[in-house]
Amino acid sequence: MSSFPTVAKLLADRLDIDLNAITPETKLESLGADSLAVIELIFDLEDEFGVKMGDERPSLVVVQDIADIVDVLVANKVQS
Amino acid sequence: MERVVITGVGAISALGVGADVNFREALSGNSGIGLLHCSYANELGFDVVAKILTPLPALIAKTEAPLFDRVSLLALAVAQEAYAQSGLNVDPEQAVRSSVFWGTGLGGANTMEVAYEDILLKNKQRARPMTVVASMNNAAAGQIAIRFGFGGSVNTYSSACVSSAQAIGEAFRHIRDGYAERAIAGGSEALLTHAVLSAWDAMRVIANTDTAHPERSCKPFSKNRSGLVLGEGGAAIVLESLTSAQARGATILAELVGYGASNDATHITKPDPAGQVRAMEMALSEAQLPLSAIDYINAHGAGTVAGDAAETSSIKTAFGEHAKSIMVSSTKAVHGHTLGAGGALELIISLQALRANAVPPTAFLDDPDPACDLDYVPLQARHNRELHAVMSNSFAFGGSNVALIAKKLTA
Repeated sequence: MSSFPTVAKLLADRLDIDLNAITPETKLESLGADSLAVIELIFDLEDEFGVKMGDERPSLVVVQDIADIVDVLVANKVQS
Repeated sequence: MERVVITGVGAISALGVGADVNFREALSGNSGIGLLHCSYANELGFDVVAKILTPLPALIAKTEAPLFDRVSLLALAVAQEAYAQSGLNVDPEQAVRSSVFWGTGLGGANTMEVAYEDILLKNKQRARPMTVVASMNNAAAGQIAIRFGFGGSVNTYSSACVSSAQAIGEAFRHIRDGYAERAIAGGSEALLTHAVLSAWDAMRVIANTDTAHPERSCKPFSKNRSGLVLGEGGAAIVLESLTSAQARGATILAELVGYGASNDATHITKPDPAGQVRAMEMALSEAQLPLSAIDYINAHGAGTVAGDAAETSSIKTAFGEHAKSIMVSSTKAVHGHTLGAGGALELIISLQALRANAVPPTAFLDDPDPACDLDYVPLQARHNRELHAVMSNSFAFGGSNVALIAKKLTA
């Protein structure tokens, strides 16, 4: 189950934009998400899914990139 | 040396949003103090506070919210009000000659408490990313500088209950001595959090609740006064050199003419009249005004047994025979003790009094302490009193004392 809907909702809320404007291919930059906003978003996601993103930040270009990482972490959490 | 004038004021407290609202409510003796409504109220030994219940002006984007503790939101709101009133619109050349002087007792208390809860109680791996920049003590001053583009020196004073009075006094010297042409000066405080209120509770200095009328719990100079009521607040003034204010045709509200600062250097909490006297005398000497020129003093008057008695004594010593002729009131009865914001808030109320020729009362003073026998303007405001100069006193834990004097601008 993809975390995309939750990621999109949190992004929409934090950036104060229309949820419908966010698709998996939407570029984070185009949403006005600067590095500070992304850091805050990651914090929200860690809380929401009970996962830890770790200190390494892979390249996050589109919204689905974030959802992919969360999906992997959640899957790992379920396994362990 | 430049003369220094005030061209804008902004205030927010339990009395409401806006300098005019705050003065109007203080004049009417309407109290913003009320019962503390929160989940932990039963744990505390007191239950009255002066909380800001009106929504704050929406001045930041939602995306910026993590950067702003409540103390910085209050700061922006009042700085914006003062700046708007001043009519200033600093260009880049002026910007580097524009400074910020801000006071706060505890800085970003809410943000710090959330961080401690997250780490220590909720076992989160880390605090929220913007915790440091939202809670650091210079956050409010920094955000003001960013908002208005002020590139001069940005200073934060943390000296408990004199913080913003000291900030204003130091801004006065800064402009007087030519380091800048203008400054936003004031203070903010937002520390009504669980742990902070518990800490204050432990000191046993908070007023007993007037159970029939909680809004009357702070009773400065009364026989049955029992302590202070903590409040949130923010207050800002725009100070400019007389030269630069006149050059741009600014509307000048008043002139700041005296700043006295001293420390008791005796006890970390007990007030010492001698130190208070020195601050008042220093301000009077700088203002080069005779004692009789001071028509109104906004007292520190926090409502503690020891504090109000000490201030009565120190005003008598500083003003001698003239003490009995001065109208003195404490507006803490209605807006509470706003700590780091108090000096600025009370100076603004004094400035409003000066301009309106109307003196706010000491509310709820229907049973005065015989030892507090000055004219404390009990219960009713005084209107149509030609005021020439006013003084505002602030005295703090740590022993600091500040007196500020403002007068109507004359040639």
